[in-house]
Amino acid sequence: MALLSWKRAARESAVQSSVFEDLALPLVSALYNVAFWLARNDRDAEDLVQETLLKALRGFGSFQTGTNFKAWIFRILRNTYLTSQTGLAATRTVALEDELNEHGESAPALYPEGAIDRHTPELNLIRLNDGAALHRAMEQLAPPLLEVVLLCDVEGMKYKEIAAVLEVPIGTVMSRISRARSELRNTLQNEFGMNKGTRA
Amino acid sequence: MSAHLTSTVLNCLADGELSPEQLAIAQQHLETCSSCTSNALGQALLKAAVSKSGHRYSAPPELADRLKQLLISDSQRGASPSRSSQGRSFQGTRGLAFAGWAVAALLLLAASIVLVQRNLPQFGQIPSERTALVVEISDMHVAALSDTAPAQVISTDRHTVKPWFQGKIPFTFNLPEQLPADAKLDGANLTYLGGQPVAHLLYSIGRHRVSVFLCPRRDRHAVNELPAEHSGFHLAGFTTGELEAVAISDVDPARLAELTATIERAQADARK
Repeated sequence: MALLSWKRAARESAVQSSVFEDLALPLVSALYNVAFWLARNDRDAEDLVQETLLKALRGFGSFQTGTNFKAWIFRILRNTYLTSQTGLAATRTVALEDELNEHGESAPALYPEGAIDRHTPELNLIRLNDGAALHRAMEQLAPPLLEVVLLCDVEGMKYKEIAAVLEVPIGTVMSRISRARSELRNTLQNEFGMNKGTRA
Repeated sequence: MSAHLTSTVLNCLADGELSPEQLAIAQQHLETCSSCTSNALGQALLKAAVSKSGHRYSAPPELADRLKQLLISDSQRGASPSRSSQGRSFQGTRGLAFAGWAVAALLLLAASIVLVQRNLPQFGQIPSERTALVVEISDMHVAALSDTAPAQVISTDRHTVKPWFQGKIPFTFNLPEQLPADAKLDGANLTYLGGQPVAHLLYSIGRHRVSVFLCPRRDRHAVNELPAEHSGFHLAGFTTGELEAVAISDVDPARLAELTATIERAQADARK
C-alpha cells in the first residue's frame, strides 16, 4: 500500500512537474533578460534563473492555479536576486522615497507644467537611433527603479502585476515608474547636452 | 479641463493604465493642449525605446535545455524514495513489493542507527528544504557582518526599529525592552527567506553580532528541527502561535539562547 502511494505520488509529481515546465520554460528568455540586467553578468544571470526555477518548482504547490504565473515567478526571481550577495549590496546602497505626495506625484516636476520642448531627449533618441545611450542610462538606474522599468516597459506588465512582483502598493509602483523615467530623461539630457526636457 | 496633465497621468496614459473615464478626460485635454500632447508623445516614445533597449540579453541556446533537464531530475528526486523505479509496474509484482518493503525497512533501520548514534540533529541529515533554509540564514548573517553592508535601519531604539517594518512585512512582532547583559539592538533589515519577507533583527552580545530572523510561522520549517550549528555559527530559535524565529551567531550558545528567550518572552508579553 505504501509502495502504491509512492507510485501515486510519483505520478502526481510528474504531472505537476510537466505543468510547471509548460508554464515556466517559455519564460526563461524573459527571466534571463531581467536577471542579466539585475546581476550585470551572464554567469550570475544563469545562476539566478536556475535558482529561481528550482525554487519555483519546489514551491509550485503553493501557486494558485488561475492566478498570474508570470508575476509569481518574477517575484521569486526578484526575491532570489535580493537575497544574493549582489542583490543585498545593491539594495543597501539605495534609499528611495516611495510615498506619493498629496497630489499623487512622486517628486516635484522639474519643469513648469506645460513646458513645450520639441527637442526632447526622446525625440533626439529616435532621431539618432541611439540605443546605446538609453542602455547606458538604464544601467545607471538604481535597482528598484530599473526593475520597475523592466517589468513595465520590457515585460509589459500592468501596475497591478508589478505591485504583486515587488510586493509594494500600486502607488509605489507609479511613483517608481515616474522617478525612473525622470532619471532616464535627465541622463539622456546630459548625454545629449540638452538643457530642457519634459515632465517626468 | 484647464489644468495640465500630471506626470502620473502621463505615465498612466503611456502605460495604458487610465480608466475609460480618466482616458476620456485626458484625451479631451490633449485635444486642446499642445504642451501635454508633446509630453505624452515623449512618454510614449521613451517607453517604446526602453522596451526595445531592454530586450537586450538573450539566454544562451543551451540554457533552456539544461534547465529542463535540471527540473526533471529535481522533480524526480523530490517525488518519492522509489522514484528511480518509476516506469516499472509494481502492481501484481509481489516479489518487487517485498523487495521494496525490505529496502524501506533497511533504510529505516539505517536512519534509526544514525539518529541514535548522534543525539543532535546534524546539518547533513536534515531534509534538503531545511538545509537550504539554514544555508540561506547563514549567508544572510555573513552578509550582515560585512562592514560594507550597513543595516537598512540603524537604531538601538526598539520604538524606531519595530515601526520601520510597518507596511514592509505582512506581520508584526514585539521587541523586548530589557535585554540580557551586554546585549544591544543594532538595527534591522528587511530581507527574504524562502521567497517570503522576513524581519532581520541585528543584535550584539559583547563584540559578537547576532542575526535574528522573524517570520510568520511555517510548519514545514519547525525551528526546533534546525541544526544547532552550521559553518561554525550557533543557531537557536523559537516558535509562538503566529511567529517563528531563528537566531544565528558565533556567540556562546547559552548567551544566544538567553537572547532568543528574551525575544520570545516579548512576544508573549505583547499578547497579554
